[in-house]
Amino acid sequence: MAVRGTDYVLKRLFFAGITVFVAVTINFVLFRLLPGSAVSNLARVPHASAALKAELTREFGLDKPMWQQYVIYLGQLAHLHMGVSWVSDSHQPVWTYLRGKLANTIPMAALGTAVAIVIGIGSGVVSAWRRGSKTDHVSTNVAIAFYAFPTQWLALMLLILFAGVLPVNGMHDPFLAADVGGWTRFLDTMRHMILPSLAFALTLYGEFTLIVRSAMLETLGEDYVLTARAKGLSSWGVVRTHATRNAMLPTTTLIALSLGYIVAGAILIETVFTWPGIGLATYQAVVSQDYPVLQGAFLVLTISVVFFNLLADLLYFKLDPRISA
Amino acid sequence: MRKSFIGAFVASAVVLAACGGSGSSSTTANANPGGPIKDGGTLRVAAYDGIDSMNPFIGVNDDSYATYEYIYPQLVQYDANQAFAPDFALSWTHSKDGLAWTFKTQPNAVWSDGKPLTAADAAFTYNTMIKFQDTVTAGSAGSIARMTDAKAIDDTTLVIHFSAPEAAVLGNVQQVSILPEHIWAQYAAGDGKALKEFANTPTKSTPVVSGGPFMVTQYDQTGTTIFMKNPHWYGTAPHIAEMGLEYFSNEDAEVTALKTNSIDAIESVPPPSVKTLQDANLTVKIGPSLTYRTFIINSSPYKTKNPELQDPQVRMAFEYAIDRASIIKTAWLGYAQPGTTIVPPGSGSWFDSSIKPLPFDINQANSILDGLNFTRGSDGIRVANGHPMTYEVLFPGSERGAGDRAFQIIQSDFQQIGVKLIQKPVTGAYSIMTAPDNKYENWDLAMWSWTPPIDPDFILSAMTCQSLGNWSDSGYCKPAYDKLYAQQGKAVDPTERHDLVNQAQQMVFDDRPYIILNYNDTINAWNGNFTGYVESSQGFFGALTKQSLIDVHQA
Repeated sequence: MAVRGTDYVLKRLFFAGITVFVAVTINFVLFRLLPGSAVSNLARVPHASAALKAELTREFGLDKPMWQQYVIYLGQLAHLHMGVSWVSDSHQPVWTYLRGKLANTIPMAALGTAVAIVIGIGSGVVSAWRRGSKTDHVSTNVAIAFYAFPTQWLALMLLILFAGVLPVNGMHDPFLAADVGGWTRFLDTMRHMILPSLAFALTLYGEFTLIVRSAMLETLGEDYVLTARAKGLSSWGVVRTHATRNAMLPTTTLIALSLGYIVAGAILIETVFTWPGIGLATYQAVVSQDYPVLQGAFLVLTISVVFFNLLADLLYFKLDPRISA
Repeated sequence: MRKSFIGAFVASAVVLAACGGSGSSSTTANANPGGPIKDGGTLRVAAYDGIDSMNPFIGVNDDSYATYEYIYPQLVQYDANQAFAPDFALSWTHSKDGLAWTFKTQPNAVWSDGKPLTAADAAFTYNTMIKFQDTVTAGSAGSIARMTDAKAIDDTTLVIHFSAPEAAVLGNVQQVSILPEHIWAQYAAGDGKALKEFANTPTKSTPVVSGGPFMVTQYDQTGTTIFMKNPHWYGTAPHIAEMGLEYFSNEDAEVTALKTNSIDAIESVPPPSVKTLQDANLTVKIGPSLTYRTFIINSSPYKTKNPELQDPQVRMAFEYAIDRASIIKTAWLGYAQPGTTIVPPGSGSWFDSSIKPLPFDINQANSILDGLNFTRGSDGIRVANGHPMTYEVLFPGSERGAGDRAFQIIQSDFQQIGVKLIQKPVTGAYSIMTAPDNKYENWDLAMWSWTPPIDPDFILSAMTCQSLGNWSDSGYCKPAYDKLYAQQGKAVDPTERHDLVNQAQQMVFDDRPYIILNYNDTINAWNGNFTGYVESSQGFFGALTKQSLIDVHQA
């Protein structure tokens, strides 16, 4: 059993590693297939000399053959060096730049995801429990609607609705007096976080509701649920103790996968609310053709998706005895 | 983001008009009718562009250049009549041969850290830019055209030498921010690479060392940058105590923020939001800008495909088929003017108003193409040189939105003259255009935009053969034009230069590497908390003058 478990984990780790390697390679090639580079933008100055172009090309390592750039890229990655931003202030190292941005994204996205999980599971369970009722219809249709709304549209609606009531831009009030305490600053950041987090939550919760409802309905039709009812357990007791726990299996996978897409989801929401996270940084890197930052951001996205997929696999292994049996 | 003219040239301006002056449209919520001016207060301005770097050798955004204007001295600035006015230089003269310019600078000036601010700082800045003009400071090379060196004769006298007479000296020096030598000298040592590695950002206790009316005490590229009044500045003290420039990555958010009093002013209002803001009783100022939209016809001498596009008659037919009025009304909601020459009306007297656009006339366009025997095929598309007149139009991402609607109008009208246009959205348009090896061989048509500086030298230079592979996005190369450009660059006599600049504009208009679609308006808006903004073709926060943030005050 232990060997089987170890074997399973090693296999998963191996495939995750391969996925990351392939993604890293595609990441490298893809951005270089695009026309232009930072040099073609930065060298656009009146009467730009050949010397300037050569200098910039050398500065960004673009004078080397592609394979050599690839080897350097892999070597740097191994040391967690993703190069330097071609555009950001004073050409910061990409990882330093993205790390700071990621630190801004994670609390906002985590709060939104947590709210989505709570509302999604709650409404999904209630919908399944009250299947066919008015509550079920309303809950399911609202969930479908939010699932279908484009993220940026939803974010813009929130912005228009709550502007003036809640902060709609940035992460904190820049005009807070210098001597206000940490608690006031924390509350200020939380106030700024409400709308982007809510946009995150509303975007995600619909999918959670639908999956939980579907899983619950499947579970509620199982024989052991019928047995529990026959034993005289209350309807809610059956849902809580027997159905919900078993319905959590697909939900766990979904949550893990959703966490992996936090970076991708953040791009639209952060651009609407000017939240200075990795999503906004990615958007700005696209606009300015800042390949190293784009590569870094896509790498973070890839690794987070692969990591949370792996986590889902391992959790499944732990939670579902049918896999480990 | 549009293809803005970037580099050290971003300046430019035009009609600098005091608030309540010559803006073409305004809904004034709160004027300050002659009462005593109330000092103090924090002005909150929304920035859609953002300050990409505090280092003048790195920053390329318009907001970055506006920031440098307000935290650093420049020798001259523009006044309300577009004339050059004193800034750090109080007066200037030049030698008879135009090879030496002498600037008398402010006496007893100091930097924000209390160190003396003298002509030596100016000499250091210019000499550094000259020294590294082929490498790290190449982005500013245009501002030091033909300069050989700069010398501080004493604390208040700066002499700049030139290798040949230069017509645009004042326009060029207006764009150069003078840096504190005691801070920057260490980075200018050796190969100068450190000049681009210095962040020049403030710390909690130390603002950026400044010599302008403001100093930056807090910098946040994707947040808010705080400008505090510089108590040491040599000029008239600003009325406001501080300004916060808050970055918005979403135009709707900044409009909403203004409506809800979360900010006080917006630099650049999207046309669809004008009515919303006017209805909310906010002040909206509309005036000429330097931005214009182009329909580009590849004019490269190396291009061999689709030779009919080089025919002046075909180009003329194309212009007849462009309905500028419809583009302005539909795409820009009326906030633009018909385009003609590459020097926009925002450039003031440099704009040649005698050049008129061809009228929209589909019959005339068809008649020209019929005359060339480009007969229509069964699908209604004409055939030229054995192939259908079907062309892709390169379309950079910066033109999306209103530009899409402009394209659709042109596409529909061209259909009527038997020419099929296909929109081709592209990333990295410039690289596609210049390929291969700066020969501009692989494309036919494009749509893009320009925001040149007020002095015409730059935009005229973009049409020279020397600009192929640099600023040229049309492949245009004509020795006769290059000669005109060179002549105007050395014409120190303004009348002579005007004549040469007009000739150059006419030549480009006739050859039509560009059909200028429209000149965009600049649209600014603010609430009633502050008044006294000074408008320019770059809005109230630009790189042309320090006047706006000096005059603005609480209402």
